[in-house]
Formats: sequence, structure tokens, C-alpha cells
Amino acid sequence: MASIRQMTLRGGYMTDGQFAFAIVAAVLAFHLLIIGAPLAYSFWLSLHETNIILRSQEYVGFDLWQEALENEDVIDATWRSLWFAAMVTVFSFVLSLAIALVLDMEFPFRGLLRALVLMPWAISEIVTAGLWTMMIDPGWGVFNGILVPLGIVEEGFVWLNEDWALFWVAVAFVWHIAPLGAFFFLAALQSIPKALYGAARIDGAGPIARFWYVTLPHIRYAVLIVLVVMTVDAFRQFDLVFAFTAGGPGTVTLVLPMQIYRFNFNLSQYGLASATSFILIIIATILACAYFFLLSRRRHVTRAVDEVKAAPAA
Amino acid sequence: MDYGRQKRLIIIAAIIVGIWTVGPFFWLLWASFMQTSELNQGIVKWLEDPTLQNYRRVFGLAGDDEGYDAIFGAQTRAVGIGFINSLLVAVPTAVIATAIATLAGYAFGRFEFRGKTGFLFALLLTRVLPPVAILIPYFTLFRQVGLIGNPVSLIITYLTAIIPLLAWVLMGYFATLPLEVERAARLDGCSRLKVLWYVMLPMAAPGISAAFIIAFLFAWNELLFAIILTGGGKWQTLSPALIGVSPIGALGLTPMVVFAAASTLSIIPPVIMALIFQRYITRLNIVDPVTVRA
Repeated sequence: MASIRQMTLRGGYMTDGQFAFAIVAAVLAFHLLIIGAPLAYSFWLSLHETNIILRSQEYVGFDLWQEALENEDVIDATWRSLWFAAMVTVFSFVLSLAIALVLDMEFPFRGLLRALVLMPWAISEIVTAGLWTMMIDPGWGVFNGILVPLGIVEEGFVWLNEDWALFWVAVAFVWHIAPLGAFFFLAALQSIPKALYGAARIDGAGPIARFWYVTLPHIRYAVLIVLVVMTVDAFRQFDLVFAFTAGGPGTVTLVLPMQIYRFNFNLSQYGLASATSFILIIIATILACAYFFLLSRRRHVTRAVDEVKAAPAA
Repeated sequence: MDYGRQKRLIIIAAIIVGIWTVGPFFWLLWASFMQTSELNQGIVKWLEDPTLQNYRRVFGLAGDDEGYDAIFGAQTRAVGIGFINSLLVAVPTAVIATAIATLAGYAFGRFEFRGKTGFLFALLLTRVLPPVAILIPYFTLFRQVGLIGNPVSLIITYLTAIIPLLAWVLMGYFATLPLEVERAARLDGCSRLKVLWYVMLPMAAPGISAAFIIAFLFAWNELLFAIILTGGGKWQTLSPALIGVSPIGALGLTPMVVFAAASTLSIIPPVIMALIFQRYITRLNIVDPVTVRA
């Protein structure tokens, strides 16, 4: 393996391994300080019931965890978040792959479109919420402005109704996040040698067969990265829901992070909020670990790293 | 399939992608030139009397304004202040996060050492943490030491959220750089930190720029931390200020046209950065944390 370790000539008093270990240990120590300490404090909070009037805290063990697990609002919000994450993952996966396949082809003004496609990803969730409100507002929105004169929907049709509100929040989030996935896919698509498509064509493979047997095996790693990023980001999403629907109408878009926010900042139930936030952490970690487990089963190293490895050793 | 028909299909697909991407931006811009009375007749119509009044309101230049200023004046002008505050938060956040992540990315991307996979996993797993779970303990801690409303509190919490992602991106970038130049510099007697500074940083400049942009965009756009830690105060950043003029959902009563103008201004820096960033993004190499070996 072409490790730099082999070229240690004058590295001072440390080997390369020790040098890298020292840097990483320092960074991780800093990171642990700014993230581990608050999490530990949060854990402590979750074991204590706060009385806001007396400003006192009483140790209650895991009572609040149990309360959170049995709380109907928490259970409903958890399912809502999982459903939201599932919708976002499926839609954004399909859409980002489709966008990447288009951007990988030859057409006029391709450079311009590639530049523009990333814009929805770059803007904030608040503006995303504003843009989609403009699309679906029942009174003056774009959808009704176009579809009502055509007679497709009746005047004043409410798109954010109780059955479909979560779907429209998911659509807005997909619009915002899919460009990132598209560029992950595009990077993977560009690494496929074009000669392979020619060879497959000569062998008589149609477009679907070429996609299945040539494209897909080359972008498998990008597929997993996109899935894990989309799932986790959707599952813990707060900003967009808060700005778009604030949980409404009723509670149909009240996702788990918003429920935790409510416990802490509206209802001053600090202990319960902390306990519930650990439920959120645990589910998010399980989701991410499931994907990482899938990754680790494949002994595949990305192409660029292979190139580094292939570089001749000193 | 004949060639001409295939070509037409590709162009149609490209037009659909373009409309999907740019369409909503167009309507935002469109609404920002309307008056409320005009918008109420529907957004899908020709601009009969385009006005810059909404932009003037954001900049506090609207003058006598039929009572608008008395009701919404303060929160509308907060958008301009938030713009400056966001710059003052986002730039230090991006600089510190990029510096730390560059060190970590260099170590992870170029060296083998004991416990590497474990360290990498520990770092990346913190990327999964939901912001609200970090915010709750930080809010209580900052309240006790009087840091609520102070931009330092915002920068610290942003670092927790962004460093793992940047380290991951930069690790992949460092891993793709050729070994020869670094090796030659080392043979000539350059120390490792000197190699990093004089040899690796210039070579990794595109990756580092991309990391800086990712961190800047995060800090510029983030809402939850900003609204709790700076909302309503002297240091209120852009995101809570935008919420202050937001008529969406259950949030407020400000005219949509003003929100459209404020939003249009707020997305100028991100859009410029996106246009720069897309040149780098396909060159980033997002590496597999499980099996990576530099």
C-alpha cells in the first residue's frame, strides 16, 4: 500500500502515524468538548423533573423517558417523521438520479443548466417554504392560477389540506435537497468510461439494459450516500416544517423535532424534551448505522482512492 | 430510436428540469415587484404596475407608506441588520470550521494510524445528531452563563453541526491528490506541517473552497439555532429576521410581497456561492468511511 509512512525520512520525532493520530485526537477532543459535554448535560436533564415555579430540579430516574415513550404526541410525531423521511427519500432519490442522467447527456446550454440546478440546494429552508407557499396558496398561488382557468381544480382549492399537507412539505424539501443528490450521482456518472456504453451497445444492450448493467453498478456507492443523507436530513428536519406549516393544519405536519421544540420552548418541560430528543437521536443513529452496515458489507473503495493506491510506491 | 427524436427527448427533459428548478425562483421575483392589492388578484398575471416599494421598505427608504411603517417597519428593517449579522456569524464559522476540518481531513485522507476507522466513525456519527437535540442543552447552558443573544454562542453551536461533514468532504479530496509532490517535498527535508501549508493547501484549494462554501451556506441559512440564540435581539441573524416578516403558515401578518422582496435579497449570497460551487462539486470525492484507506 502506498502509504506515506514508507517515505519517512525527516519527520522529526514522530512517525507519520503518530503525527496523524495527534492531529485527529486533538480535533476529536475539541469536537467531543463542544458536542459530548452538552449531550451529557442533556442526559442529566432527562433524568430530572424541573419545577419552573420553584426553579428546582428533582431526580426522577428514567421516569421521563418512560413518559416520553408512552406519550401519544411523541408516538404520533415519530410516525409522522418516519413517514416524512420515507417520502423524501424515495422522491428525492428518483428525482436526483433523473436530474443527474439528464445533466450527463449532451444538449445546448448544458453548462448553464448545471450551474442553475444547484440553486435550490443553496437557499434556506425559509425561502424554500416561501417559494412553495407561492406555488400552492389557495387564493393567489401559481397552481390555482394556472389550473382553475383550465377547469382542473375548483376555485380556492386548498392544497395544504389535512390529508396532503405532509406530502407538500415533502415535495418542497425534495425540491430543496434533490440537487445535492443529483450532483453526487453526476460525479459518479462522469467516472464511468464511455467506452463501456459503446461496448454494451455493440453487444445488443438496449437503454434499460445499459442502465442496469453498466450505469447502476458504477454508481452504487453514490446511491448509498444519497440514501443516508436524504433519510437522516429528512428525519431530523425542523426548519422547513417550522417555516412552511408550523406543524399545521391541526397537527398533521407536527414532526418529532417540532414536538421536542414545543416541549422545551413552549411548554417548559425541559426534562421531557431532553428525554424525547434521545429517542430522536437513537432512531436517527439506527437509520444511519443500518446504511453504514450495508456499506461495510461491500469491500468497495471509490475509484479515486483506487488511483491513489495504484500510484507507484517509493 | 432515430437520432433526431432522441435529441428532442433530451432537450424536452432538460427544459423540464430547468422549469422545475428555476420556476419557483421566478415567481418569488415576480411577487416582489407587486403590491398586495395586485397579488391578491392572483400571482399568475402580467405585472401592470411593477414597484420597487417592497425593496425600499426592506432598506428603510419607503418614507411615508400608508401606515405600513408604523405596524411592520421595525421588523422589516431587521432584515437588513440581519443580513450584516449573518455575514459576521457565517464568515468566522466557515473560517474556523474549514481550518479544523482541513487538519482532520489531511490526517484522515493521507495517513494510516491506529484506531483510524473508529475515530472516523465517531466523528461521522455526530453528523447524524438532530440540531434540536444539541440545542436544548446548549440553550440551558448558555442561559446560565449569559450567552443568549451573543453571536459567539451561535458560532459554537454551528461548529458542532458542520465540522464532521467538512472533515469527511476534505478527507476524500486529500485522498485523491497525487503523492509524488508531497513525497518530493518530504525528501527535500520539509516538515509535515510545512508540507501541509506550502504543498498540500495550494493543491487542495478547490476542495477547501468547496468546504468553506458548504460551511458558509449552512451558517447563512440555519434557522433553529439562530431563532433561539439570537432571535429578537441586537445580534439577530437573517433567518429569524425573515421569519419576522414571514406571512406563511401560522407565523405572521406581514404582506407576502414584502417577504418576497426580503427573500430575494437574502438568497443573493447563496446563489452566487452555488454558481461558484458547482464547478467544484463534481470533483469532490465523497469517500466510503468504512473501507477507506489512504
